[in-house]
Amino acid sequence: MTSIDVRDLTKEYGARRAVDGLTFSVPPGRVTGFLGPNGAGKSTTMRLVLGLDRPTSGTATIGGRPYGALHTPLRHVGALLDAGAAHGSRTARDHLRILAASNRIPVRRVDAVLAETGLAGVAGRRVRTFSLGMRQRLGIAAALLGEPEVVLLDEPANGLDPEGIVWIRTLLRRLAAQGRAVLVSSHLMNETAAFADHLVVLGRGRLLADTPVKDFIHARVRPDVRVRTTEPGALGDLLTRHGYDASRAADGTWTVRHARVDELGPLLAEANIPVLELAAQEATLEQAYLDLTASEAEFTALSQEA
Amino acid sequence: MPFAPALHAEWIKIRTLRSLLSALAAMLLATAAFAALATAEADGGDADPLFSVFFGISFGQIAAIAFGTTAVSAEFRNGALGVTLAALPDRLRWFAAKATAIALPTLGVGLLTGLATLLVGKAVLGDSGPSWGQGLRGAVGCGLHLTLMALFAAGLAAVLRSGTATLSVLIPFLLIVSFVVGDLSGGVADFLPDRAGQVALHSDGDGTLGPWGGLAVSALWTGAALFAGAWCVRRRDA
Repeated sequence: MTSIDVRDLTKEYGARRAVDGLTFSVPPGRVTGFLGPNGAGKSTTMRLVLGLDRPTSGTATIGGRPYGALHTPLRHVGALLDAGAAHGSRTARDHLRILAASNRIPVRRVDAVLAETGLAGVAGRRVRTFSLGMRQRLGIAAALLGEPEVVLLDEPANGLDPEGIVWIRTLLRRLAAQGRAVLVSSHLMNETAAFADHLVVLGRGRLLADTPVKDFIHARVRPDVRVRTTEPGALGDLLTRHGYDASRAADGTWTVRHARVDELGPLLAEANIPVLELAAQEATLEQAYLDLTASEAEFTALSQEA
Repeated sequence: MPFAPALHAEWIKIRTLRSLLSALAAMLLATAAFAALATAEADGGDADPLFSVFFGISFGQIAAIAFGTTAVSAEFRNGALGVTLAALPDRLRWFAAKATAIALPTLGVGLLTGLATLLVGKAVLGDSGPSWGQGLRGAVGCGLHLTLMALFAAGLAAVLRSGTATLSVLIPFLLIVSFVVGDLSGGVADFLPDRAGQVALHSDGDGTLGPWGGLAVSALWTGAALFAGAWCVRRRDA
């Protein structure tokens, strides 16, 4: 079983630190979501893992070895970095045949991944005629070509239609279930939470969180509770007495922040306040993620000034 | 990782791009066609019969340069190099495979070009044409010269990382600098990369360089360009 190990990884472009002392692991058998705003260093980290860029310091290894030491790398690591990378004048099949030849992968794998990604019918068409979604599928086909134990995909859901997004979720879950280490980057939290088991969150090249998705939700997503009653005034007094932070909307509905229905329900019953509605309102996962990255987001300050 | 799979992959890349195959065809057609035209016009007494046959090389070499440039610059578009180097992390091995995959078809088509040009020239000129000995030397020189020019362009394209930049440097250089300076003749001009290789296409070796010496000078230029290209490919982030 192979994992990706990133240790104290730093990459500087001139004076700018794109990746800053990053340490995390991507173990086999689960999908690790790689999150961060644009410019947080996700793509750079992936390029460093693949040996395309040289780190300023630190290491990135696959199963303990640097990428450059792998003899037939496509049989160990499959990557999608840029869906536009296939030459527009070549057919999808020729693009994959070139990669297969370079790592002595049998040609039947080319047809297998074309079928798996739903491109079999357009394999003979020039890539130039493909939509962004089809190019993403071709990039994913290339990543799966060598049946690798490690899969890295940079924003694979970009440009996919709803059906394609469901497809990629299923695919990612299956790859992890087969025991592969899967790292998938995205800048959208909700999308990532739909398929990831674990989250690695970056901001300005630094590690902000390295945690299971469940823990992230539990620790950071604070629910609100919505209460509707026939006696809004009495409810307001009760909430204030118990130190709740609550606000009343024009229609008389109260929203109680950082509360749970299990504590409010009994309280209302005890005070004999007739309840018309009592509902938990999950603050979105997306909001929790934005809160985490807001202070680190590269472009926040700029857009506020503008 | 052995060299053969890398070469195999680079070879498929070349034969699956129509623009590259067109460049090789243009190389043959331009050189041979201009031979027929130029020969018919050059009826003067002191004209060089061998070079009048191979006059079209000035145009054929532009096609050779386009071939070498495009084969390399295609890697520098839209992150294609990332895909290539993820499959072949040994960058020097990859660049050697790329250069070989450029050299072999250019040499093959180049020798064919030389032979076809010679046959056209002999047919048009008849007895006033070059001798078979000279002519065959010209045909081989033509094939080698075109190959060296394609590789020179390939090396430069790897340094500049852009097809447009490479052609913007090389084509004005060939059409203007080399043409003008070359007509002033002799001395330094004979050592320019394209002029040196073309010595083999002239009947009389009256310059400083003989035909093979000229090709050797051209090969030095090409070697330097490939070395610089390999250095850049190895050192820079992909």
